[in-house]
Amino acid sequence: MNFKQATQLIYFLLYVWFTSGCTTVIVDEVKHQASTLNVKESIVVIGRRSGSDYETEPELISCIGSVLGQGENGINVIPENAFVDRLYPWFEARTAPTHIKGLHRLISYDKIAEIIDDYNVHYIVWVDGNTEKTRGSGSISCGISATGVACFGFGTWDNSAEYEASIWDYRTKTFVGKVSSIAEGTSYMPAIVVPIPLIAPVQADACKAMGIQLQNFFQIE
Amino acid sequence: MTYLNQIFVMVTRLVLFGLLLSLMSCKSTLEVEGDFPTPVISIIPLNVGIIYEEEFRSYRYIEKNEERDEWEIGIGKSQVKLFNTVLGAMFKSVIVTESEKIMTNISAEVPSTAIGTSIDLFFKPKVEEFQYNVPDETDINMFEVWIKYNMKVYDGQGQLIADWIQTAYGKTPTAFLKSQERALNEAMIIALRDIGAGLSLRFIHIPEINTWLKQRHSTSEITKHYKKNKSHTELITVLLANN
Repeated sequence: MNFKQATQLIYFLLYVWFTSGCTTVIVDEVKHQASTLNVKESIVVIGRRSGSDYETEPELISCIGSVLGQGENGINVIPENAFVDRLYPWFEARTAPTHIKGLHRLISYDKIAEIIDDYNVHYIVWVDGNTEKTRGSGSISCGISATGVACFGFGTWDNSAEYEASIWDYRTKTFVGKVSSIAEGTSYMPAIVVPIPLIAPVQADACKAMGIQLQNFFQIE
Repeated sequence: MTYLNQIFVMVTRLVLFGLLLSLMSCKSTLEVEGDFPTPVISIIPLNVGIIYEEEFRSYRYIEKNEERDEWEIGIGKSQVKLFNTVLGAMFKSVIVTESEKIMTNISAEVPSTAIGTSIDLFFKPKVEEFQYNVPDETDINMFEVWIKYNMKVYDGQGQLIADWIQTAYGKTPTAFLKSQERALNEAMIIALRDIGAGLSLRFIHIPEINTWLKQRHSTSEITKHYKKNKSHTELITVLLANN
């Protein structure tokens, strides 16, 4: 790396540092029993979509799936869409089992059991929660003139991401445990001619924390 | 030079004004597009004819409320696709019948060409009501869609057996860099999946259809079908009771 490249890298890192808001993440775990996972087995991460005033974001689910699949202890994760589509209409917002008893009943239907077995699923992870804006203040005003658009002001807002994952053992039909991830962060947007967003990656941090915690939740055999 | 500057400023203002005006009068058009999976359900051994009225095939919702943004949402093609997929998986055979030729003395709804054929049931869906919400209109940051369907089922002779209302609901959260059209399309697809799920799981539990099926039971192969798929039928019953 020459001097020019090093300078560019420093500028880039400084830019990333300055343009990122701060996030605090709290992760919690409750485990009721051992959760071993064979390397050939899979897990499926599905979002709960039964809340009336919120919805677990699909991008959060795919983010957790990709974090789980990374690294030396990478887990084989069935994509949510593929799983839900193949088992349509049994895992839709209004039909998905909400308790382990519901799963018991569901797999009493041979066709459903065959499909889940075909995926070699050992654990089903249900993620419930969402990211929302909890506070906002400040103001930015923009004006259009012949010379162009100019903005001036300062805005700030807080985001909160709260997610809880319930882990079901498909093989033993038992509830194994829970992992929760709560992230809070403040984003800023100063505007002097051009607005500069300093965004706190609240959802991404909550996803990463939950993904890593879930990866450690399972003992790979 | 000053004169040229003045012209330049005037033209720029006119362009900006025109741009602002075009943005204000912007109309959002959406043709709902998506794929629907085949339901994993037991096949009911019946031959079914589906009747799609032209109004249903080309259903478009046009927002007429002046206080709301202008939206034109085309649902027809997608809902036909959904019903073809779901009903195709529910029954032994499904044909789409033409509804132009109408027989008046038996039923005004079932095409005369189809009466007396090997079709056991005719199924006719209709959109009764459509509603949507965009995030600016509610406290929640979501696109929401409600569709109220009127379902009618006739026997092979064109006599009305069942007539019921079924609702569909779909919602999708807003996301960074996601267009309004894309978000509303996703909510629409979820709503259509919802109606497909409801229809495929509840059909045999509609009281009038259940009674009609029981009447056919004793002599037909449906008896064998239900005995064979007992777990599936019981499962639906339990799930419906729980919900």
